[in-house]
Amino acid sequence: MPLSIYDQALTSRLLIGSALYPSPEIMKQAILASGSQVVTLSLKRQNPMAQSGDKFWRYIQASVEQNQGFLLPNTAGCKTAKEAITLAKMSRELFQTDWIKLEVIGDDYNLQPDPVELLIATEQLLADGFKVLPYCTDDLVICQRLYELGCQVIMPWASPIGTGKGLMNPYNLASIRQRLPEATLILDAGIGKPSDACIAMEMGFDGVLLNSAIALADNPVLMAKAFATAINAGELAYIAGTMPERQTAHASTPTLDTPFWHHGEHKS
Amino acid sequence: MKLYINGNATELPHSSEAINIEMVLAKTLPKSQLEQSFALALNGEFVGREDYVKTTVNNRDSIDLLFPIVGG
Repeated sequence: MPLSIYDQALTSRLLIGSALYPSPEIMKQAILASGSQVVTLSLKRQNPMAQSGDKFWRYIQASVEQNQGFLLPNTAGCKTAKEAITLAKMSRELFQTDWIKLEVIGDDYNLQPDPVELLIATEQLLADGFKVLPYCTDDLVICQRLYELGCQVIMPWASPIGTGKGLMNPYNLASIRQRLPEATLILDAGIGKPSDACIAMEMGFDGVLLNSAIALADNPVLMAKAFATAINAGELAYIAGTMPERQTAHASTPTLDTPFWHHGEHKS
Repeated sequence: MKLYINGNATELPHSSEAINIEMVLAKTLPKSQLEQSFALALNGEFVGREDYVKTTVNNRDSIDLLFPIVGG
């Protein structure tokens, strides 16, 4: 079954960021290698004489079109609901999409989302016709509130942005999955290794959004392939159903008719 | 009239007629900049492109022009 983002079916379950790559060309190659159909980007002030953003913009557009994908603008850097709402509206006009990755940061040290401002912004943006993809902590109740407001997609963090620490609280994430079975859950931020992404998919997450783990790899293009493979493996494992964990050992090879089974007894 | 464009103070010649956003952009931005993709906020509120002409600016107003950039 394909990933669904507000009824838009996508074949890839990897959503990828466009920042921090060594060069625009490597970014483009990595996006293509990942197979991702959703690429995040942002809006920022720019020196009026600077043209630096144009080249990135062209590369992102080309990459997205090649993968038959979609842009997902974010509200990175916003600290209040008001700021995020304004930025979302600007993004909608410029990028011609009503998708918004809603980020409202509450703490500068770990860039932790502000749940109160996030809920305020989510409610207003949904009412204004946006399709909100909220970036939030792994707090079950916040996720429930976001879902009740009308978010079809919820994106709890694995750990703080850019840390690469992987899944800090697997129990919390599993609880969110269990309690919100109908929501599209995408693990966002803090992923460090492909195995982190695989674990999230094995838990039943619908997708993974990441940036630094690919962009900061020694070989971002190869790492993009690694993540795509890991996410596919995790999804297959979830569908296949993992075996129950057991406390004691169980021989996997049948013991009946084992040669020399009674060898010790003959000696006595 | 003093305006703040992306935080930078900018003086516009005094005018007896009302000045709208379209006029401000034409007076302050180079052509290369105007041709780029950008979105605009006036005093922290989004203003759509179709409203530039009918939105007047006042002394000490703040205009933010935002451009596409990479993001995670």
